[in-house]
Amino acid sequence: MIEHDDIKSDVRNPKTSKATFFRLGIIGFVLVVGIAYMVYAAFPGNTLYFLTVSEFMEKEEYQDGRVLRVSGKLLDGSFHRPKGSTSANFALIDSLNNADPGLEARYVGVMPDLFFNPHSEIILQGSYGMDEVFEAETVLVKCPSKYQSMEEEYSEDYMYDEEKSTKS
Amino acid sequence: MSNLGIKNIQTKISYVLAALCTILMIINLYLIFWVAPLDVVLGHIQKIFYIHVPIAAMSFLAFFLVFVFSIIYLVKRSEHWDRLAYAAGEVGVVFVSVTLLTGVVWAKPVWGVWWTWEPRLTTTLILWLIYIAYIMVRSYAPNRSQGSLYAAAIGIIGFIDVPIVYYSVQWWRSIHPSAVVGPFAESGALEPIMAQILLVSLVAFTLLFVLLFNQRISVKKQEDLLAKTLEFENK
Repeated sequence: MIEHDDIKSDVRNPKTSKATFFRLGIIGFVLVVGIAYMVYAAFPGNTLYFLTVSEFMEKEEYQDGRVLRVSGKLLDGSFHRPKGSTSANFALIDSLNNADPGLEARYVGVMPDLFFNPHSEIILQGSYGMDEVFEAETVLVKCPSKYQSMEEEYSEDYMYDEEKSTKS
Repeated sequence: MSNLGIKNIQTKISYVLAALCTILMIINLYLIFWVAPLDVVLGHIQKIFYIHVPIAAMSFLAFFLVFVFSIIYLVKRSEHWDRLAYAAGEVGVVFVSVTLLTGVVWAKPVWGVWWTWEPRLTTTLILWLIYIAYIMVRSYAPNRSQGSLYAAAIGIIGFIDVPIVYYSVQWWRSIHPSAVVGPFAESGALEPIMAQILLVSLVAFTLLFVLLFNQRISVKKQEDLLAKTLEFENK
């Protein structure tokens, strides 16, 4: 009993396949909801990828040593690395105009290239220590969603380096 | 005989398409590496943008096609539409893979890490996994038509993730830059010359997508024909 396999009639039993499709739809829906939940649960501070400095400072529960991400701008002149040390101290503030002392932070290691760029936002991943200093395990740099060509008069202004932002 | 004529035309079209695509790609690379100005903050690294963004856009297009062809397949139940959906899905996986890879090499020098579990990246990885599943599920089904059916279900439901990926930078806080073109872009987010080069790149990669999609359909057609011949001989 060889059925002729016409291109148009490749479905052997449309009734079962409709039921299968319905079942598959339900399974798919459950999977999507499940994945959505996992994404929701995976982010620190529930759904947020990072907290701002003021959000972090306001709530004491964030400061109990849990691992999370805090974002802010580097406070100008706050960067300090003792000579010959791999450990660096600096402070993050919410925005450059903010008068707050900001969040004291420490990181051991090499800073990303764009860390000292005035346009960058810094995202620290780590936890608040007993000494009220944020111990960063990872330093991330967020750049503005804006692309502009480099012009001569600007270029020097943007050539920020460690020395410029360091306490003298 | 007339069939042979059609095949000849199709071959010619694909040659012309390949030639056009090659020329446009060379122009595109020239524009990206010689004409496009250096970005004031990111410098040379920003040039990945002209490849990363169009390729991501093409993967969205591919998965939209999978979505449409899967619906048509469910209504018409003809192998033809299944083949189109499959070809679009496979090319889409290639494009989303390249999106992830170009993203990774862009992230390291700018963000400081190769990967971070932020919304855009996480949802894109899920997108990649969904369409890997879309390709794999066919092999798990006991027969072809059932495999096509499972795949169509994934192709339709999985498309939900495409708008999620697109809006992720709008909905959630993320490290990924938000859109510099399109309805959500801030004005002046992209310099006119950069926008023009992006447009050329978008056309070039659209052509590449059409070329790959077209080629994959022809190969799939031959594969199906071969499978049918073997099946017939075994009986």
